[in-house]
Amino acid sequence: MVLPPASEVQLIAASQFSIEQLTAIYNQTRVDYLIPMPMNAARLQEYISTYDVDLPHSLVAATPEGELLGVAMLGVRKQRAWITRLGVLPVTRRHGAGWALVSGLLEQAADVGLDFAMLEVIKNNAPAHQLFLKLGFREIGELLVLRRSPTIPPPDPVIADAQRLDRADALALLGRERDFQPWTNQSETLFNAQDVSGLHVTLADGSRGWLVYQRQKFTLTRFAYATEVGDPAQVACAFLSHLHYQYPRLDTQVENIRVDDPHLPAFYAMGYIESFRRIEMWRGEAPLFL
Amino acid sequence: MTTILIIEDIPDNAELARKALTAGGYATLHAPDAESGLQMAQGLQPDLILLDLGLPDYDGQTLAGWLRADPQTAAIPIVAFTAWPEETARQMAVTYGCRGYIAKPIVRVNDFLAKIASFLKTN
Repeated sequence: MVLPPASEVQLIAASQFSIEQLTAIYNQTRVDYLIPMPMNAARLQEYISTYDVDLPHSLVAATPEGELLGVAMLGVRKQRAWITRLGVLPVTRRHGAGWALVSGLLEQAADVGLDFAMLEVIKNNAPAHQLFLKLGFREIGELLVLRRSPTIPPPDPVIADAQRLDRADALALLGRERDFQPWTNQSETLFNAQDVSGLHVTLADGSRGWLVYQRQKFTLTRFAYATEVGDPAQVACAFLSHLHYQYPRLDTQVENIRVDDPHLPAFYAMGYIESFRRIEMWRGEAPLFL
Repeated sequence: MTTILIIEDIPDNAELARKALTAGGYATLHAPDAESGLQMAQGLQPDLILLDLGLPDYDGQTLAGWLRADPQTAAIPIVAFTAWPEETARQMAVTYGCRGYIAKPIVRVNDFLAKIASFLKTN
């Protein structure tokens, strides 16, 4: 393949490709990643709908001859844009395709009136991190990706009044005050997701809080939670112990927990381990409601 | 003949593992994703599973946990097959009930086969 100069990289709306084609491009760009995270078409479709990815404003990069170079997707929510699934084919890297894709996404975001953008980059992915810094993103903090294996025996549930919540009751909790979250953990994600339910716990000392989560075939994932009263670690121990007692055979994946989240000690106490870290980055002024 | 199920989505990696294992005298099966890997493990009862941790439908850890919890497959040794950093790979393998891990890519076939043999011996 003859690589064009960056100025000649062609950017094509991702909506002009099928999900199967986008999946193939994405997987090819990640084939040599330390944490490749491949997807099949069904998984990518679910990702797109759950995270409000806007395919007409997402981009595929190609040479003037039409050979594909990479892909990048744009999530769009109220006053916020999100850059995700950025990847460039290994043999075509360091020729400006990544720069063209991210710059193009920022222009796409501006076209729909968004000047605040968020993203997460895997820690130690230095080329991507540098690219984002050069394009005006700044570091906000570190995020943890945690897992809990179903081979760990379920904990005894912490003594508490634990109420299981159906989807409607669980989603009603998301309107309550929570710190501003990384994109994946924002309320819209849970509103978009299938098979969402929740738990509300009240401890004997009056501490209370809640957890909203998605239950997939083999996994529990997409957590949103808050402590209403009391020590967050204690409240989280209560809702996590009830959750894992209820679903002892399910694997658990929790993404993008901030390293200073006061609930974090409860995750470790319940057998979660750190899978890897990301760096959260923002560009532009965060909207006031955040 | 000892049969090893390779669960790996990247064709080149799967083919390299298959060739190495065949050269070592093993029979091989191949599944390109977690769903088909689970079905093959349940139905064909291989002697060992070589499991990529990054699969396109469910990731390898999720599948390992499910295989361990399923009485039909709980006794089959699983070896994680991954390019993750050593400490992360070791921790994930242990936590998810794998016998151990083998680092990708396969560089020396003899070392790879020696590890496979050692994981089978401890079964």
